[in-house]
Amino acid sequence: MTKASIVGAVPGDILPLAGLVILEIGNAQAPICVRLAVSLAGKIAADLGARVIKLEPPGGDPVRRKPPLLSRGGTSVRSALFEFLNAGKTSLTLPDDAESARASVATLLSKRIDAVLLEEGDEASAPAVARGLAVVEVRGWPATMPTPGPRLSEFTTLALGGLLDMVGDPDREPLRLGGHQASYSAGLSAFTALMALLVERDAGRPLLPARVSLIETVTWVNWKAIAGVDSDGLAPTRQGAGSEFQVVRCLDGWIAVVFTVTQFENLRDLVGSPILYDRKFATRQSRLENIRELYEQLSPWFASRTRDQIYAEAQARGVPLGPVCGPADLHDDPQHAARGFIMPVADPSLGLLRSPRLPVLWNGRNFGPSAPAARSTLDAVLG
Amino acid sequence: MKPLAGVRVIDFGQLTAGANTSAMLADLGAEVIKVESASFMDLFRWIGSGRETAPGWWNRSPQFRFTNRNKRGVALDAKIPEGRRVILDLIAKADVVVENFRRGVLERLGLDYATLATRNPRLIFASISSQGETGPYRLHGSFGSTLDAMGGIAALTGYEDSKPVISGSHVNYPDQVVSLFATGMIIAALRETRRTGKGALLDISQREVTSFLIGEEILASSADLGPVETRRRGNAEEGIILQDCFLASDRRWVALTLEDEADVASCRAIVGGDDNLRDGVAAWCAAHPAAEAVAGLAGAGLAAAPVHDGAALKRARDLAGHTLIWRASGEVVKGMPYCFGGQGPAVACDAPDLGEHTEEVLREILGFDDAEIQRLAALGVTRAEPYA
Repeated sequence: MTKASIVGAVPGDILPLAGLVILEIGNAQAPICVRLAVSLAGKIAADLGARVIKLEPPGGDPVRRKPPLLSRGGTSVRSALFEFLNAGKTSLTLPDDAESARASVATLLSKRIDAVLLEEGDEASAPAVARGLAVVEVRGWPATMPTPGPRLSEFTTLALGGLLDMVGDPDREPLRLGGHQASYSAGLSAFTALMALLVERDAGRPLLPARVSLIETVTWVNWKAIAGVDSDGLAPTRQGAGSEFQVVRCLDGWIAVVFTVTQFENLRDLVGSPILYDRKFATRQSRLENIRELYEQLSPWFASRTRDQIYAEAQARGVPLGPVCGPADLHDDPQHAARGFIMPVADPSLGLLRSPRLPVLWNGRNFGPSAPAARSTLDAVLG
Repeated sequence: MKPLAGVRVIDFGQLTAGANTSAMLADLGAEVIKVESASFMDLFRWIGSGRETAPGWWNRSPQFRFTNRNKRGVALDAKIPEGRRVILDLIAKADVVVENFRRGVLERLGLDYATLATRNPRLIFASISSQGETGPYRLHGSFGSTLDAMGGIAALTGYEDSKPVISGSHVNYPDQVVSLFATGMIIAALRETRRTGKGALLDISQREVTSFLIGEEILASSADLGPVETRRRGNAEEGIILQDCFLASDRRWVALTLEDEADVASCRAIVGGDDNLRDGVAAWCAAHPAAEAVAGLAGAGLAAAPVHDGAALKRARDLAGHTLIWRASGEVVKGMPYCFGGQGPAVACDAPDLGEHTEEVLREILGFDDAEIQRLAALGVTRAEPYA
């Protein structure tokens, strides 16, 4: 996409969660996908001004070693995943021996803490609830199940929640969405549950612990698969080359061809191939019946143009075609740049890096990205 | 738990991104009034069986039912001056407006934030848009799949070294996640408004939410200064030894993750052989029905699961937890992706028919009498059937 200059950060004057102290407790027994969800919820709270104290399990959070890594010139420095999720937090590592670890958590809970983010099965849950704190626990399996199911990975939560089945080609294996979408959508759920608890706490009402499960959140995100069964008796599934919307080659990358029933004529006029005016492409139903041929007719026009050209021409006609942007492309995107979405962060060893702020402008103010997590000690935190 | 009891929301939301945000607020106890009209209905009303033929077809869509429970619905036509006036009066008595129109629509109707805030300075206005309220692309339209592509997730999704893949119109992933984030931000803003007395414009770009959810990749790409080719790796993940779906003998798929060497050893003990691990797993799965294969692999402590489709999801009630609610009628609606004290949301009322609560809302909130209500009806403001 077109290069554009970066607009400077607009510092936020009020941070909505300023004054809150949130404890984020890592449980070595919980799967990493649960950790990522808890970490994202804590990150959003930290960017909004909360003081987030992250307790890493003994030996440190294994996410510190997870890809993608920050690397330069072939040398990997640290985990970009850890840095992204934990910026703005104060981090301490729990002692190895279980008794001391328990004592450390108890000491922290006895101090002025407002909320606790927990991973499944953590024994701090009961005392935190008893103390009247806002408690959000993230699990893999639904909390309603009498006994939790077997071991999970983020990938198997996508399978169980049906999201895997929806992506890819029907005659090939189901495909996961890139990144950590099961964990992150659960992290957004956990953040929202935390906000609801804080409102309840402000009102002085007794708090109930909130529970979020990755499988439940994936199912919730994938609700159309279930509504589809209700709608016409058929479960929608991945459509691949039979899909109305497909990704096609262009000169410098890929374009997602997206259009509504009412926008097809604009797309047809944009591409201008005479065959597209044939009756077999006149209705949505007939287009789906001839989808392979439709895309054969559309493809050459795309293949001879760049993403920028295609995007500009399509928008001028009101067709919402989507140029495929990779992470590196987003740094130079004119829209992200104009809104200051990707902002500089000072890294201790790599100099200036760039990371997204929270995806909201609040009366024009922005939040985050915060500085990298600072390691601390129990004494320093308590002091 | 009803943390948002006493909060009134005017819902201009449609499809998922907006309407679902308001539904989440309703599930938390807010009073949500959905505003539509004969000239503009939630687009979900057009989807479903018998569309545009069966009597009252616009009140039958399962997709609409999923995203609009626990709301009251009014028909007020903002394109008629009297309709606009009534909407302004309602918003003056509300705490939150949620909208996801194309940018410019509410400005043309004189219902933009600047206008509304002069009458109600405590108002929280959640503007959910494709690319944000500002910037060169602010007027650009999109659908979920456009934002899969432009947000960066599609570039990271796809079969090994093959083309990018979008989540598609049956998922529209960006629409789903924006409502999770927007709900949390609206609640944060409600706390702030109670503290300061000042309202807020929350400018939420769906594209930014989508990009935020691959934040670590954006950060990583800023460290490496050389040209970066984004690679697609199917279901594989860096740092994980083997992760993929395998076809079982009953033509169902089994998802499996082998994280480390201990997992590989456990897996080998089941599937046998000492040659290529992937081939061994594939051959073993192909010889067993999916349920048996999953039981064997999971029983050995591995992360293995069946790949559920929509029909399986509807059967697997224990997995849905509080995210789906089965009505007495047998119908299903969407619940919440969280619960409090083990309790999920209750459905106090089904998704409203178009204009079902117009009269009730006008009497109760604005104190209108019969004469006023008849006058609005005569002007066509409260018509509750779409124009042909």
